[in-house]
Amino acid sequence: MSDCLCEINISDIDLTDERYKISFSNKDIGLLARSFRETGLIYPPIVMPLNNKFIIVSGFNRIRAHIHNNKVHNNGIKILVYETKPDTTDYQYLLKSIASLAFQRQLTIAELIICVRRLYQFLDKQQIAKKSPAIFNTELAEGFIGDLLTIADLPDTALELIHTGNLSFKSAKRISLLEKNTVMVFLDLFSKIHASQNKQLEIILYIMEICARDAIKPKVFYTNKEIQDILSDEQKDPGLKTKDLRTCLFEQRFPIIFKTQQKVKEKITSIKLGNSIKISPPENLDSQTYSISFTVKNYKEFIANVQNLNAGLENKKLKELFNQ
Amino acid sequence: MKIDTLFIDKTIPQNLEIDYIISRIAADPQWVENTKTVYDYINDADDPILKAKKTLYITRNKGAVIKACPGTSFYTCCDYTILHTGTFCTMDCSYCILQAYFHPPVLQYFAGLKTLGHSLEKTFRQNKIFRIGTGEYTDSLIWEKISLQPKFLIETFAKQNNCLLELKTKTVNIESILPLDHNEKTVIAWSLNTPDIISSEEKGTASLKARLEAAKLVESKGYKLAFHFDPMVIYPECEIQYKKVVKQIFEYVRPESIVWISIGTFRFMPKLKQIIEKRFKHSTIPYGEFILGLDNKMRYFKPLRIKIYKEIISCIKEYAPNLMVYFCMEDEEVWEKCIGFFPEKEGELGHLLDKSAVKHCSLNSNLL
Repeated sequence: MSDCLCEINISDIDLTDERYKISFSNKDIGLLARSFRETGLIYPPIVMPLNNKFIIVSGFNRIRAHIHNNKVHNNGIKILVYETKPDTTDYQYLLKSIASLAFQRQLTIAELIICVRRLYQFLDKQQIAKKSPAIFNTELAEGFIGDLLTIADLPDTALELIHTGNLSFKSAKRISLLEKNTVMVFLDLFSKIHASQNKQLEIILYIMEICARDAIKPKVFYTNKEIQDILSDEQKDPGLKTKDLRTCLFEQRFPIIFKTQQKVKEKITSIKLGNSIKISPPENLDSQTYSISFTVKNYKEFIANVQNLNAGLENKKLKELFNQ
Repeated sequence: MKIDTLFIDKTIPQNLEIDYIISRIAADPQWVENTKTVYDYINDADDPILKAKKTLYITRNKGAVIKACPGTSFYTCCDYTILHTGTFCTMDCSYCILQAYFHPPVLQYFAGLKTLGHSLEKTFRQNKIFRIGTGEYTDSLIWEKISLQPKFLIETFAKQNNCLLELKTKTVNIESILPLDHNEKTVIAWSLNTPDIISSEEKGTASLKARLEAAKLVESKGYKLAFHFDPMVIYPECEIQYKKVVKQIFEYVRPESIVWISIGTFRFMPKLKQIIEKRFKHSTIPYGEFILGLDNKMRYFKPLRIKIYKEIISCIKEYAPNLMVYFCMEDEEVWEKCIGFFPEKEGELGHLLDKSAVKHCSLNSNLL
């Protein structure tokens, strides 16, 4: 079933047909083009004949790089390709498209999702898992394939967000269990911020819990002015938006805790015991143990801190802090 | 929840105790070689917890029959003694920790009243007051409908004077115990909650009114009573609702009949949250303002706990100023701020409860 190595005209390739494209990378192909100029095309792309034209099975970037190197030649560009045999099946095309990329580099999660979704038309989860080393150059567990398929059911925006790192695999898996309107809320939200996986999960958790507690739909909650103001603030970078959003959600999820923590923080700030003395409240304010610490470089600093602590004995605000 | 499957450990001799249970359950007994059969049967279900509630396994207690309550670190414990007579429950409370405690949960009845009697005899011979309860790993009175165990326990405890038996329940299964000669040694205790929480979170339990009517009835038969506001759930206007419950208690029973009232807000092992979310989709109780406590359990934020405790304690004290009210698993700050003192010394809370037990249940006061 080996493909035939031959030279074809670029103009005979239907560049608009991307049915076998897996890679998200529309990255700058400058380096690849430069490599071709230095060393030539090492691995020819694979193409399939279709309606008197060819469509690309594998090597989208290589063909783009080749065109980039030969812009001046307009219609006369030729390229060395593997042309598949006419009896090649759709399943075989799919395998070629996946394996040729997977054996070059590790596929990203977004790419894995695309591949598994396509393979699932021909194989079940168990079969994909069994054949995975030969197709993906790595073993994929059946459960993981199941998760990829679940995420694959999300709207295409999800894949883009996964690709850009705005939506983690775990977060995508979490939202894939939610109803469609809610999914759209999170896809929109994560397209506007940039958060680590744990922060994404926290955001999902808080929103879902606030909505469950208050018996409102996430779609309605999402119209909340405070949240929308944060997300639409063009002056803020996505990282800062994430920080503000998390604070806002924490306040809404834990109003009393938030208020009390703020109060304690303000009280501590108002107690002037010297810059190097640090007062830390008990964790979660559940125990009664406050921690008061200072660091010193020499005896003089030590004395100064002890004197500041002594002065604190008469500090009303310090007393209030312990007696609240 | 109606029991529809009955497994019996093959090593259990078929006697009057077992025949009684078989006669009370509408399911053919299946005698099994080992526990695995039962575990597999339960684990195969889509909802093993629900399945376990309908599956009774009669077996023997392979561990300690009488043991000290484990309590929890960092919070004050009441030095209770657990009589391990069975596990799990037929009712379906969303917050029930037993759902996460057993792997898998199995509704077990520990057969062997004679063995139980022997174990208790040793405790009865000790020169010490014991407060003993069967309601730690199960509901004490779900068994009244199907077994002779509650009757046996009440009559056994009636013959001694250093141990109090507390039967803790959310049922109104009291019919068979009413005529028993309990000699004041048994306290019938009800877990109470607001009607809102009972209807939304305590599936299959008796209503508040039914519980209080049952309390009144056992009181009329000379039984002493206890009430446990545990878990109290914090929700909008819950203070008003909990105070109404307190008021109702004293409309039904006399303060003198109440040995103690315990109070504790909802707390849970973190893994229980997922179980509640999965099994009780409409429940909002996991979405309160919880923090991770020092004992690694989720607890309401302390100022919230203190607020609700203060309200309910002052309400109880209005009706019964001298009634023993205590916290289940709270720390010094909560005790001080809500009750005005803290049983600081080890065993101090236990001693206070022992005193109340002696006073109400005619136990040997020389043992205090």
